[in-house]
Amino acid sequence: MRWSVALSILPGSLLFLAFYVVPLGILLVTSLADWSGLGFHYLGLHNFTTIAHDPTFWTAARNTMLYVAAGVFIEVPLGVLAGIILAQHLRGWRVFRTILFVPFVISGAAYALVFAIFYDPSYGLLNSALGLVGLNHHHDWLFSTGTALPAVAGTFVFILGLVIVLVMAEIAAIPRELHEAAEMDGASMVQRQLRITLPLLRNVIGTIVLITILGYLALFDVVFILTKGGPSDATLTLTLYAYRAYVNNAWGYASAVGIVIVLVGLMLILLVRRLFRLGEPTL
Amino acid sequence: MRLKRLVGGVGCYGALGILTVCALLPTLWLMLSSFKTGDQIFAASGLIPKPFSFQGYADAFGQVHLERYLLNTAIYAGLGSLGAITTALLAAYPMARYRFPGRGALVASFSLALAIPVVGLATPEFFVVRKLGLFDTHIGFVVFYSALFFPLAFVILRAFLVSLPSELEEAAVVDGAGYFTIIRRIVVPLSRPALATAGVIVFVSIWNEFYFANLLSASSGTQNAQVALASFRSQFNFNVTAMLAGTTVIMIVPIAMFLFLQRQVIAGLTAGTTR
Repeated sequence: MRWSVALSILPGSLLFLAFYVVPLGILLVTSLADWSGLGFHYLGLHNFTTIAHDPTFWTAARNTMLYVAAGVFIEVPLGVLAGIILAQHLRGWRVFRTILFVPFVISGAAYALVFAIFYDPSYGLLNSALGLVGLNHHHDWLFSTGTALPAVAGTFVFILGLVIVLVMAEIAAIPRELHEAAEMDGASMVQRQLRITLPLLRNVIGTIVLITILGYLALFDVVFILTKGGPSDATLTLTLYAYRAYVNNAWGYASAVGIVIVLVGLMLILLVRRLFRLGEPTL
Repeated sequence: MRLKRLVGGVGCYGALGILTVCALLPTLWLMLSSFKTGDQIFAASGLIPKPFSFQGYADAFGQVHLERYLLNTAIYAGLGSLGAITTALLAAYPMARYRFPGRGALVASFSLALAIPVVGLATPEFFVVRKLGLFDTHIGFVVFYSALFFPLAFVILRAFLVSLPSELEEAAVVDGAGYFTIIRRIVVPLSRPALATAGVIVFVSIWNEFYFANLLSASSGTQNAQVALASFRSQFNFNVTAMLAGTTVIMIVPIAMFLFLQRQVIAGLTAGTTR
């Protein structure tokens, strides 16, 4: 029995060891070194001071935070709103839920290509539509520094599927009596959603915010394919910044950036857990 | 009161309608445009293609050989999800049933791994994959994806197994059935819904994977469809219709899977993230 259990856990543990534990170890060690695949020189914290003094890093950090903010402050509220509306089970809610979920299963790469065409300055749908209402319709959304970042964020802020599904599952668990009692007291629909439903969603919204932050902290595909971080780094992310170092064979430096990304992620996780008092019961 | 209800209803449908348009219009437009000719696209001529043209699809398969990349993608997603699910079930079952030293630590590490932004691990992953002789090979991608999605599958399956009653297994033990026989004959059949859920989610995740597919392949022989399409954008820019057709094809597979297995996907996402 004991051997069977050990044997049973072994394959997964080996995979985990080789592709999670060992890489994390390598990341920690090599972030302190000049490592290019050819040689390995211990540098101490040198990579990190270089990072801190590189203005490009700060551009990437600022952009990444803007993407995260777009997710947290646009995508999440829209998804919560849609989830609350759908949970009323209006006629046709299943159809809406299905349709709104579809973008969630489309790959980042395919989405990038969808929007490459959508934003195209000469034949894209966005500019055609603007032309119809008489506005400037030859704007190059992705290659103007002012609009590139919002245009990239526009590709993902309407991916509401996960938020909707999680919010609806949580609302389904709210006891019916709470709403009935409030209705008797004359509370309107909107009042009930604001005063009863929303506070009870605290835990699930916290979880969603966590997932969103981790997701957009790691944003890569869409930016890489659409803009490569340009124009003049206006859409550059931390992951793309690390990727550039990696492509230039500055592997140690890339590892250090990787550490920064993991640490920022951990810090934001702790922050969100506190803010939303995650894990404490809502009722 | 009635008027209020009406206004509320209109407001709700209005909000849903706007969100639906924002969420789907660009994708829908691309799919429609994939049936246009190049001239129609460049002339920005309305939403509906007329006449319908299948030239883009013919080129995507005839010239660019999308089918080769689709085959790679299907192999990675099929065998990779099988690998992740199998190893995850074998690990999750004893951890849901037996107490043994180190169990808590293992469960915590496997679950915490979900919170790591794995893109930060690019260089070390590349190094490990190359050292194991797995770089730019089909088997390498299958092993790598099995490992990458092992924690996700583990969390979903463990959540299910913890709540699964164990009477049948106990009866089988009394009848003298061995550990792996119990897994094969009892646990697997009873876990079918959870296995389907985890299977779909992991399959679609691997199908859609771009970052490591790009990082760990060096030749077109091992590229997946996502990577191949992204390089269309730079290399095959002259043939926009082929690119649109290709994009439509790679989107259709996960969309179709979702539409057929909607219930499992939604159940799995809820179980995997809130527990």
